[in-house]
Amino acid sequence: MESFFTRYRNLVVLLAILVMQIAGLAMQVRRTSAGRGTLDSEDPGSVRLIRLWANAIISPPERLIHGTKLGVVGGWSDYIDLIHVRQQNQDLEKTIGRLRMEQAALLEDARQGQRLQALLGFQQNYIYSTLAAQAYGSGGSDRSRVFYIDKGSHDGLKPDMAVITGDGIVGKVRDVFGRSSQVLAVNDTTSGAGVILETTRIRGILKGDLSGQLEVVGIVSDQRIHPGENVLTAGGDLIFPRGLPVGVVEKVVPDPDRDGLVDVILKPAAHLDRLDEVLVITSTQPRFSPQEQQDINASETMKGSESSAVNDQMKASAIMAEKLPGLIDPNLPSDQQPLHDNSNPNPAGRPPQPLHPDEFSPSDATPIPAGTGPGDGSDAPKPKAKIPATQPAAKPTPLTPQRDQ
Amino acid sequence: MALLGAEFRRDFEIRRYPVIVYALIPLISLVLQAWLPRVTGPYDWFDLPLVVTVYFALGRRSPIQGTVMGAAMGLFEDALSHRPIGINGIAKTVVGFLAASAGIRLEVDNQAIRLLLNFVLSLLSSAVYLFVTRFLLGMSLEWSWITELLRALGNSAIAVVLFPLLDRLQVKD
Repeated sequence: MESFFTRYRNLVVLLAILVMQIAGLAMQVRRTSAGRGTLDSEDPGSVRLIRLWANAIISPPERLIHGTKLGVVGGWSDYIDLIHVRQQNQDLEKTIGRLRMEQAALLEDARQGQRLQALLGFQQNYIYSTLAAQAYGSGGSDRSRVFYIDKGSHDGLKPDMAVITGDGIVGKVRDVFGRSSQVLAVNDTTSGAGVILETTRIRGILKGDLSGQLEVVGIVSDQRIHPGENVLTAGGDLIFPRGLPVGVVEKVVPDPDRDGLVDVILKPAAHLDRLDEVLVITSTQPRFSPQEQQDINASETMKGSESSAVNDQMKASAIMAEKLPGLIDPNLPSDQQPLHDNSNPNPAGRPPQPLHPDEFSPSDATPIPAGTGPGDGSDAPKPKAKIPATQPAAKPTPLTPQRDQ
Repeated sequence: MALLGAEFRRDFEIRRYPVIVYALIPLISLVLQAWLPRVTGPYDWFDLPLVVTVYFALGRRSPIQGTVMGAAMGLFEDALSHRPIGINGIAKTVVGFLAASAGIRLEVDNQAIRLLLNFVLSLLSSAVYLFVTRFLLGMSLEWSWITELLRALGNSAIAVVLFPLLDRLQVKD
């Protein structure tokens, strides 16, 4: 027996290691009712421990390399950026001031919108709390489109939190370690998110294909889907809030597996291949920073002063109204009120005949001198009336009564 | 390609390296494998841990060491991904064992043999990965043999450049 193991020890060691790994795999993968193998979204404790160890060993040098690269690239770009930096700084400070005012107004609008939606009973998620993180590593293969960020459980991250950039959605947090987290990108083949086409309002499931392209799968063929249409998150997956940009329709191809269905290939809104900084949505509940709260209070104060000014104006109008003759006289019966008086308040009729009529007198018989009418083509100089803008206009002589009742 | 008889096998030199090399080179390959795809984007047609596994297995000519090293590298790769831990482990275990077994019989200083071995073992690793995922575990896996072919070519090219550099690290008697 001893000679057998000595003679075949290479094969024995190989088989032992293979069997151990197969047994380990069997503990991680379970069969579905459809007979397919599937992996639990949460790793068993022992597997999680291995991932933790691997992350603890690989992450520090990986961060070092990434930090060095950022330092070199950043140093060079900083040197270039120093040109005109003072002017840019001044411009940016002005912009920040303006944006803060706009932000205060927008926050106020958002709060108002929320109140209204609460009244209407909508279950709407809002992004109010995000955490910026630096992406520094990957899963190492296109078979696993994951990447690592430098924020973990110590920063309040939890599994299934959405990860976005300013351009669009990126992925979701999968594994959370102490100081880092693994993010599953939306273009991984095992990823999934509920999306909706902006114009046609067609819903579908977003996933990635082997080449890392985004596609919305299992959509019933529809002639209205055209390239260029925006695709947004639908909000039904309880991970991504509704309305976040996902991408733009690039083309529509038939589903290779199912007749009558199409796959919509998307151009992602976020640059999934070149991610440096991302935002993790840590909370969708309304939560304002002290600065934002201060801006809101300032906005409320401004709003209060505006309303008091409006009240003052209304009070002044009421006082003026008391001094002016009204259309309702409390001392008269209702049928004799001035409001119901249909008689002409200015019974001018025809103007009285002048005692000494001249050319300016309103008379049908008085001929108009030739060459004084408008558009008669006369080149004769006309006297120009110079009336200063602040001068009150002269009272016109009533020629004929214009008010007919 | 020279297949040699048993009496000549013992004449082959077993390469030895400082202990730090055994620790650092695999670690660097794992770190670079995790970091470089962020630089290369979709063109990540390489598998540095596999190349390093093949190199040490060929040089050490010990199937057990090749097996253990392949298993360790593969398990690390799996642990960094979101897939079950063990798929890459099995693939690279087989590769390490076969590379060491080939190292016993072949003159591995020849660049053409190194290139060919890396190409074949890369494809074998992909095939084992596919077999374990689809048939052993019954999991769905999108697959493109063209990508695997490009990866095998990339590994071969890297091996041609990397192996002579690593040769300089060995301890001379």
